[in-house]
Amino acid sequence: MDLKTGLVGSGSTESRELDLVIAGGGPAALAAALYAARYDIDHIVLESYQPGGQAALTAVIENYPGIKTITGGDIVTAMKEQAESWGAVFEMASVLSAEPLKDKIQIKADSSTYMARNLIIATGAAPAKLGVPGEEKFYGRGVSYCATCDAPFFRDARVLVVGGGDSAVKEALHLSDFVSELVIVHRRDKFRAEPYLADKLLSCGNCNVMWNTTLKEIKGDESVKGVILNTPEGEKEMKFDGIFMYVGRKPATEPFANLIELNDNGTVRTHNIVHTSRENVFAAGDVTDNDLRQIVTAVSDGARAASAVFDKLQ
Amino acid sequence: MLVKNVTNQTGTREEVIMAVKHIKSNDVEAAASVTDKLSLIDFSAAWCGPCKMLTPVLEKVSDDLDEKVSFYHLDVDESPEASSKFGIRGVPTMIVFHNGEEIDRMVGFRDRNALQTQLESLADSKLV
Repeated sequence: MDLKTGLVGSGSTESRELDLVIAGGGPAALAAALYAARYDIDHIVLESYQPGGQAALTAVIENYPGIKTITGGDIVTAMKEQAESWGAVFEMASVLSAEPLKDKIQIKADSSTYMARNLIIATGAAPAKLGVPGEEKFYGRGVSYCATCDAPFFRDARVLVVGGGDSAVKEALHLSDFVSELVIVHRRDKFRAEPYLADKLLSCGNCNVMWNTTLKEIKGDESVKGVILNTPEGEKEMKFDGIFMYVGRKPATEPFANLIELNDNGTVRTHNIVHTSRENVFAAGDVTDNDLRQIVTAVSDGARAASAVFDKLQ
Repeated sequence: MLVKNVTNQTGTREEVIMAVKHIKSNDVEAAASVTDKLSLIDFSAAWCGPCKMLTPVLEKVSDDLDEKVSFYHLDVDESPEASSKFGIRGVPTMIVFHNGEEIDRMVGFRDRNALQTQLESLADSKLV
């Protein structure tokens, strides 16, 4: 090993040895980075997938203790700046694969290869697709998964929101400030979102809810023009300019499929919150099978994972 | 490439090469009509989180693909005519042109690897 660079081997097979690689760029990864830096663990954060994670796409955050209200972009920027101020090292790179190699993990990223004594997987989750006809065709032409990003394009328009959890209701409320009329369809007869958000939506002046209703098809020409819905009264065709989807999340675990046990839904199977089926691999945030997926739980996971690595290295 | 005079962290002026050129509605046609390279126009907005995160990715990829792709940035609020003309309904949207024709459209954030792979594939198929 070259003591100056930490590189092992030569030529294209060179890899860098580290005590810890953190994969991900959202709140879980940022908290792990902060704690790893403060513990003085030799580490790198590979900001694979979406820098800032799903949190960066959230319009307003009102349930992070100590902060009354903040945008998702601002909170993740503050987290990253804080981690960097303690010496956290970031690299914009995607993890392509992770394999066990003796007592280490070989992590191939598009930038380099790393031999890590420990790995924290905090790659988060991407919005799930519903898979209905028209969804892919009209993505970016009326179909969106991010009201924070795209709401201003639907000023005075008629939009449909699909979903019933926190994300759907929160983003619908954000959209309602821009659009002339908003309809939210949910497959159940009540929201899963926290009651405060649900009540706020139900009293919103330009919002209507269709219960026990699902989206069957999105129609249009160059852009979205309408939808076909499955309602309790049968199929119904309605006109809309935009469709916003919040129907769950797909965990970003593909590069780790040969490394650790995953659940059927693709999440990392964990025990004791952040421990996985391999003793030197930890998981944090939305990528795990933990029930509550919030920024506050993601940062907790990240801190616990970095702390567990620190204990292991002692 | 655009060379910009900026003040660095120590307060001294230095020239920085901006590989992604800022354009407005009137510049789109010329930018899209390049024949010896591909042109990528990034339609984005100041209020959009993923757009901000895409900026360093575009800077990195533009360094690597300088000979094959010209990179442009267009603010949808500053240039609503171009946004409307190209039917932009979400940001960031990256449209790739060759010889005045739209050959690909990518909506949402792309990481460095995904963007570079896609652009190299397009360049291989369009540039002789």
